[in-house]
Amino acid sequence: MKKGTVLIVDDTEMNRSMLADMLSEEYDILEASTGAEAAKVLQKRNDDISLVLLDIVMPEMDGFEVLELMERNGWLNRIPVITISSETASAYIDHAYDLGASDYINRPFDEKTVQRRVRNTIMLYSKQKALEGMVAEQMVEKERNNFLMVEILSNIVEFRNGESGLHVLHIRTLTEIFLRKLQEITDKYPLPAARMALIINASALHDVGKISIPEEILNKPGRLTDEEFAVMKTHSMQGASIMQDALQRHEEELIQIAYNICRWHHERWDGRGYPDGLRGDDIPIEAQVVALADVYDALTSERVYKPAYPHEEALRMILRGECGAFNPLLMQCLQEAGPHLEEELRLRSLSDVSEANIRALSSQVIAGGKVSSRTLTLLEQERIKYQFFASMSNEIQFEYNYQSDMLTISEWGGVRLGLSTLIEHPEGNGELHRVFSLEDFLDLKHRLNCATPEKPIAGGMYCLNVKGEKRWYKAVARPIWQADAPDEVTGIIGKFVDDHEEQLRLEQLRRMAEQDSLTGLSNHASARSWIRRALTAEGKQYAMLLLDLDNFKAANDAYGHMFGDQVLQHVAHMVKNSVRGGDIAARIGGDEFLLFIEYKGDIKALARRIFDALHGNYKSFPIRVSMGIALAPQDGNAYETLFHAADRALYAAKKRGRDRYCFYDSSMQDLLSVLSSMDN
Amino acid sequence: MTINECYACMGADYGDVLRRMGKAERVAKFLAMFPDEPSYGLLCSALAQGNAQEAFRAAHSLKGVCMNLGLSSLGDAASKMTEALRGGLLPADVGALLDEVDGRYRETVSCIRAFMQG
Repeated sequence: MKKGTVLIVDDTEMNRSMLADMLSEEYDILEASTGAEAAKVLQKRNDDISLVLLDIVMPEMDGFEVLELMERNGWLNRIPVITISSETASAYIDHAYDLGASDYINRPFDEKTVQRRVRNTIMLYSKQKALEGMVAEQMVEKERNNFLMVEILSNIVEFRNGESGLHVLHIRTLTEIFLRKLQEITDKYPLPAARMALIINASALHDVGKISIPEEILNKPGRLTDEEFAVMKTHSMQGASIMQDALQRHEEELIQIAYNICRWHHERWDGRGYPDGLRGDDIPIEAQVVALADVYDALTSERVYKPAYPHEEALRMILRGECGAFNPLLMQCLQEAGPHLEEELRLRSLSDVSEANIRALSSQVIAGGKVSSRTLTLLEQERIKYQFFASMSNEIQFEYNYQSDMLTISEWGGVRLGLSTLIEHPEGNGELHRVFSLEDFLDLKHRLNCATPEKPIAGGMYCLNVKGEKRWYKAVARPIWQADAPDEVTGIIGKFVDDHEEQLRLEQLRRMAEQDSLTGLSNHASARSWIRRALTAEGKQYAMLLLDLDNFKAANDAYGHMFGDQVLQHVAHMVKNSVRGGDIAARIGGDEFLLFIEYKGDIKALARRIFDALHGNYKSFPIRVSMGIALAPQDGNAYETLFHAADRALYAAKKRGRDRYCFYDSSMQDLLSVLSSMDN
Repeated sequence: MTINECYACMGADYGDVLRRMGKAERVAKFLAMFPDEPSYGLLCSALAQGNAQEAFRAAHSLKGVCMNLGLSSLGDAASKMTEALRGGLLPADVGALLDEVDGRYRETVSCIRAFMQG
């Protein structure tokens, strides 16, 4: 077993073969004589290349350019490169390192150095990749937990507030839209993507402090009195102190951001907000953004104390300062995002709902609360219905995203198959291919590549290896095309349905159709097709033996049909025992049997043995048979010719006094047929 | 001629090559391939056409191959040629440089052929 594949890129053939010679014992070797050729090989095989040995000085595309190309295509992330050159100038070596080479080997190289460097670099890379994978997995897991926690908490708050289940989704969406706009129009608040994601996530927690506000105040229909409003206003400090507590246990950026948002999302730009009366950019930007999102959503949603204002009205009220003063830059964001805000809010909320299975946990909250959006309920119902039926029907659902090259398997499916629910680069994933073989994977991929928007559904039957057991699954999948660019595929969705029992049943039916129901031997039709197939083989000798029972009618007459059937079963048993596995034994009529045997050497002895074996008693009933034998190729090479000859030989055996066997010879040509009437 | 004598005849160190290449058969195998290695021919034709860049790459390849096979005498000459061509222009003394490469190439190849004949 080779430990990997090494691509050697060098324009000098001798150098390539020298390196190949030193490495071929441990690795599979690919060679490229130019940079362009290397690019082609990498394009095609980058999944299984473990390392590239790269010459620098080459015509047309030199080694530096190959490194740049690998970087552009993201291959350098995964494939380490060792450069080889007789150039010893340090500028050269540095340049290679700058471009992402992992190591450098000087000419003249020696065997041990080459082998050791290659081995170490490959090992280092795979270890590092494994570690990176583990860290990424933990990050994803952590993010998921955070998201889950945030969702649950905020839904509880909403439930108490009697707000619609959409409020949190709206706040998240609005926060995201405003943050992105803000990045677009100014560099005053630079936010890395990770920080932005945390703010969006934490925005859902802005009202968590309302947990401690009494129900009567929280849900009072109508205006609050001054005292009541004073109590209501404490929710921002309450929320902050919840986060403060949490911070003492977990020093996490998410919670720190949530603290800022909880405490200051009612502050205003002019210092007239609460609780601290902060002014201008003393208010953290995350709180400023969430404040604006909160106000917009409050205006455009129905509350116990007010109807929902239309988008234009809400926009006008905010811009006129009726809800307090905001950062002028944020006002600009609102105005610029304005025309698409309504639409985007609706779209994003819907996609969030259908995407996040986390909603299941909060569905009760939504169902219990006053749901203002009929769509949301319907969607939720659809989702639950779908999940329910999916779990009943043993479906393994999956999604694939081209851009991230990531396969997501439904939770149930992951458990069923013993796979993780997130699989990166599925085409090169060994774990996946142990379950779903690469060959089948490529087959399904090919079918999906052939799918069109007119005929989008593709699929097939695949045998999966489910925890050591082979099971048949029916795969159905379809590509998802980008709405505005129908030739651009963004992803795949599909499912695998366990079809094993059904396949086994079909298999059994197929077998039953080929069998004689009384004796379990092949029936005539299936024997015929088997024999035809066998006769196409060259250079083999076969014997066809036709036999019938001499006195079967007597058994039926004397002891009845039940006994007759037992006699037939007995003979079938003896027939089966007298041939080997590869031979064919069939019942072709009432008491007629056919044997088709491959033989080497003396057929006479073999015929005698079979005849003797059948000759005997069943209970006290004597079994006697007549048998006609034809040989291939002597007597013919076609099924019909052989059958005809064996049939004539059987007739001859009967004519010569029964209880015997005859080989066909040409003198029998004109004899009558025993069986031919049946051989249609 | 043994391989040892062959290296001695070329004024090179067989022990060093053997240590680097790991196996005597490997040295012999690649040494036998050297007379058919195209770098030298490419160098000559590139110079004949006045193509300095291609001549540089050919000289560079020849130097690399010589270094790996421990053909130090020819390798040194090839190295000088490489450096002279690095700027991308044909140097004034290219004729003398080529004469040196050419003379050592002939010596080297004739030693290798003698070794190959046994």
